[in-house]
Formats: sequence, C-alpha cells, structure tokens
Amino acid sequence: MIVGSARERRLWNVATYAIAGFFGLTALGPIVWLVLTSLKTEADIVTAQGVVYWPSTLTLANYRELWDQTDFPTLFRNSLSATTLTVAICLVVGTLAAYALSREAFRGRQPLLMGLLAIRMFPAVMQIIPLFIIMKAIGLLDTKLGLALAYASFLLPMFIWLMKGFFDDLPGELEEAARIDGCSRLGALWRIALPVARNGILATTVLIAISAWNEFLFALMLTTGADTRTWPVGLQLMIGDFQLPWGLLAAGGVISIIPVVVLFAFVQGSMVRGLTEGATKG
Amino acid sequence: MSAFQDSSQGQGMPRLALIADRYNPFYLLGHWSDGRFWVVALLAPAVILLALIVLYPLFYGLSLSAHEMRLTRPELGTGFVGPKHFVAMLSDDVFWLAVRNTFLWVGIACVLEVGLGMISALALNRALPGLKVIAVLVLLPWFLPKVVAGNMWALMLDPRLGVLNDILVHLGILAQYKAWFSDPATAFGTAVVIEAWCGFPFFTLLFMAGLKGIPNELYEAASIDGATPTQRFRFVTLPMLRNVMLVAVILRVISLVNSPDLLLILTQGGPGHSTLVLSLYAFETAYRGFDFGYGSALAVVMLVILMLFTFLYVRASSVGRQA
Repeated sequence: MIVGSARERRLWNVATYAIAGFFGLTALGPIVWLVLTSLKTEADIVTAQGVVYWPSTLTLANYRELWDQTDFPTLFRNSLSATTLTVAICLVVGTLAAYALSREAFRGRQPLLMGLLAIRMFPAVMQIIPLFIIMKAIGLLDTKLGLALAYASFLLPMFIWLMKGFFDDLPGELEEAARIDGCSRLGALWRIALPVARNGILATTVLIAISAWNEFLFALMLTTGADTRTWPVGLQLMIGDFQLPWGLLAAGGVISIIPVVVLFAFVQGSMVRGLTEGATKG
Repeated sequence: MSAFQDSSQGQGMPRLALIADRYNPFYLLGHWSDGRFWVVALLAPAVILLALIVLYPLFYGLSLSAHEMRLTRPELGTGFVGPKHFVAMLSDDVFWLAVRNTFLWVGIACVLEVGLGMISALALNRALPGLKVIAVLVLLPWFLPKVVAGNMWALMLDPRLGVLNDILVHLGILAQYKAWFSDPATAFGTAVVIEAWCGFPFFTLLFMAGLKGIPNELYEAASIDGATPTQRFRFVTLPMLRNVMLVAVILRVISLVNSPDLLLILTQGGPGHSTLVLSLYAFETAYRGFDFGYGSALAVVMLVILMLFTFLYVRASSVGRQA
C-alpha cells in the first residue's frame, strides 16, 4: 500500500504498471508464440535463415493434419473419459466426506484431516510403482477406470479439503431449519447444503478436472495402449515418432489447453478463492 | 432415535402414501440417514477408497524398498533383501549427484518463485485500472500442462529455430544461437528458470490473498511514524505474510521434490546427469530400468527428506514467531 506525496504516488504507479506489464508479457508471451506457431506453415517454422515472427500465411493445416492423420482424436477422447471418471469419483465420494468433516464432530476428525494433507507428501513414484503392480494383478492396468482411481489418490484429498472449506463458510442454521421442518439429514444435505454451496462445488470440480486433464506421470506409467493413452502422453510420444513436428505439437497444445482456459475463465473468481483458502488453511 | 420422525405421521396421512414411501429409495436413504451411522456412511466411501489407492500402495512401496524386484531379471526373484538397496545408495555416485541436484533444484526454484511471486503480487494488488485483467493472465502458466509448457519452451530455446535465441542475438546478449539443453553448464539453470515460470503464479495467487488481509491502518500508522517504503515492506508486509509464506513454501517444496514431469520432458536428466533429480532418478530406475525395488527405495528416501524438511521448517518458523 502506497502512501505519500502526489509525485511519489505517480512514480509508484508508473513502476507498478511497468512490473505488471513485465509479468503479463512473461506469462502470456510463450502462449502467444505457441498459438502463432500452430498457425504457421512448416516452411515458416523450420526456416533456413532466421526466425519468422509473423507468418506469411496463416493456416489451419496443422490442426487438420493433427485431427485427420494422427491418433489425437482418440487421445483427446481418452483424456475426456479419464477426467470425467475422476471427477465423478471425487464428486460423489469427496462431497460426502467433506460434508461430514465440516459438519459433524467425531473422534478422529482432526487426525483424518491431517492424514489427508499428509498424502500430498508421498512421492508420486512411490505411489506409481505399487499401483502398477497392483493394477496389473487385478487387470486395471491400461484401463480408464484404473487411471481415474490413480488420479483420485491425489485429487480426492485435495477435493475434500477445498470442499470442506466451502461447507465451513455456509451457515449451518439453514440445514437446522430444514431439519425442524421434517427434512432428513440426507435431505438437508441434498436440498439445502448442496444448492447453496454450488459455486464452491463447481470451482473445486473444475480444479480437479484441470489437474486430471493435464496429468502426465501417472498416465505415462499406467497406460500403454493407444486406446487408453491420454493426450499429454500421446503428444509427448509424437516427438519420437515424427521427429519434432513442431506445428503439430503446437496445434495439439492449443487444442488441449482450450478446455482448461475456458473452464478457468468460467469459475475464475470462486476457484481462486477456494485455492487460496484451501492452501492457507491447509 | 425414533424410527419415524416424519412430521406427516399422525396427521392422518393416507396409508397408501406411507406404503409408497416405504419403497421409495430416497425416502429410505433419508430415513436411514437419521440413524446413528450417518457420519460413518458419509466417510466410509472416501476412507475405504483412500485406504485402497493410497495406504495400501504406500505400505506396499515401503515393503518393496526392502525387496528385490527387477522385471528384467526375474531369476533374482522377489525375496526380502533388508536394507540392501539403502546400503547400495551409499556407494551410488548417481544417487548422491541426484540428491545434490534435488537440493539445488528445489532451493533455487523456490527462491525464484517466492521472489517473482512477491514482486508480481505487490504490483498486481494495487487498485489501479487494468491490473485485475493482468492478474488473471499471470495465473495462466500455472494451469498450463507441463507437456505443453515444456515443449513450448524447448521450441523457443531450440538451437536452430528458437525465438528466444533470436531475440537474445538481436539484443547483442548472445553472439550466436545456443543449445541450452545440450550444455551441462546451462541445462540446469535453463530448466530451473522454466520451472520458476510455471510455478511463480502459485505464489502470486497466495501472496495477493495475503496482502488483501493486511489492514490499511497498519501502513498509515507506519508512514505517520516516518517509515520509508522499504521499512513498511520489511516491518508490516513481510510479517503479515508470514503464515501464507510458510504454507506456500511447504506445498511448493513438496511438489518440487516429488514431480519429475518438467525435467522428464525437457532433459530426461541429461546431459550426463547434470539435471538428474531424485524423483527423476527413481522414475527412470523403475520405469526404464524396471528395477522396482531400488526405485521404491529411492522414493522412500524422498519421503524421509520431505518429512524431515516439513518438520524442521515448521518448527523453525514457529520458534521464530514466539521470539
């Protein structure tokens, strides 16, 4: 917070804009370059001399080739199903648990909350190796359900913590009133708590969905077949197959981050709140 | 705990409706939720699921670290080998290199991210027109998949086609295009900078939230007492952000130690072992070498390092607070 003379203030304002501009440019620059690359022809990307900043012709050829001649559509669909499954698991199982942790006082509540936080500390590799062996044994390896369960191992604890924060913010009196009117406890959760908390639920769900959509390491290890591989893995593997097809990679990157950006823009406000509170309370 | 708490009872509700209710699953569930097992029912699915996908694998992983398990050499069997893997680490030069790299990687990335996060949050938190939009844009790198972010930077730093090389040459900073990731001297630094780019928005976000919680009166009082802007930052802002910083650093360190994604995409630990961190070493051991036992043992070491770090860091911070 700036306090001081008018001249001092003006100076600070200029500095503020300079710094904000720098960060805005740093954050956005690479993404703009990615989009630009995806719209270039092969000749404008791989040039004999110098870098072509603004392409001579803008083309959608990369997108068309990616969609028609690679297995990207399948990868995209696989990611979509794995993400949907993860979200479904977290939404049902996580909301119930978060509600209990927010509303009910019971023995073991505090250790349970701490235990959920501690799960963050387990190295991913430590999870993946046993999961690989277990899932292979019970036939879940290379399935979308297996992948979704693996994702839930680190996303469910996060979901519960964030949702608990949103439930904590709601006044419990609403549910009590409903109970007095003859609502069952499940009815009060379903009819009162969930509708009132819907912004929080939406934001948390989007966050979980984005994390599952972007996940790379678990997917790399727990899927091998073309019909389960997710897009981050598939895109990374294309590098070996096609020898640095930058145009295709850029197009794939742009297509894959569009859902993320759209979802983020959609629930930006409550998601940022949930994230900061979830992190600072945790 | 009466069986029927429905208020309609006793008000002459038609029998038929009561019978119908008895077979309505929602009614039954709702009725059952008033029983004593409500909390158990709410928590059971999550607890059982997490026990199966987190706790069981965790103990399995712990036990694996004391077993032989190499998929490439099944004749070795899966016998108990005690602390063999941990003893082997002591004389494993690559392991020690990975430990050193991990500390450097996490330390430098974290300092960079805290610094960038603080500067950007201080600027973006001011109530000037247009800053809100930039504040949202600045968050984008954090939501970008590592696969996209990594390859995007690899393209921009490409020794033949890289736009950043081009800009640096035009600015006169570089004499010619540089292969950033083929030179052990620059590979590590370049990767850390990219990691910082991906991670700093997390601190921006948390610091902005923290800054909003600082009452304006504190700044006014400080400036009436003649505090300079630097003093106001040091004696008002920093102490007030202490808790946020504590939590943010812990979370960030945990994820920096644990996730090899970015390095896996950018350098795969190379050139040589110059960018090999523990998480990557464990992953390569398990995934490429198919030595699950040794890989698990490496992961156990990571877990121990993280637990020690969290314990000491939290202790040091709360001791400092009492003083």
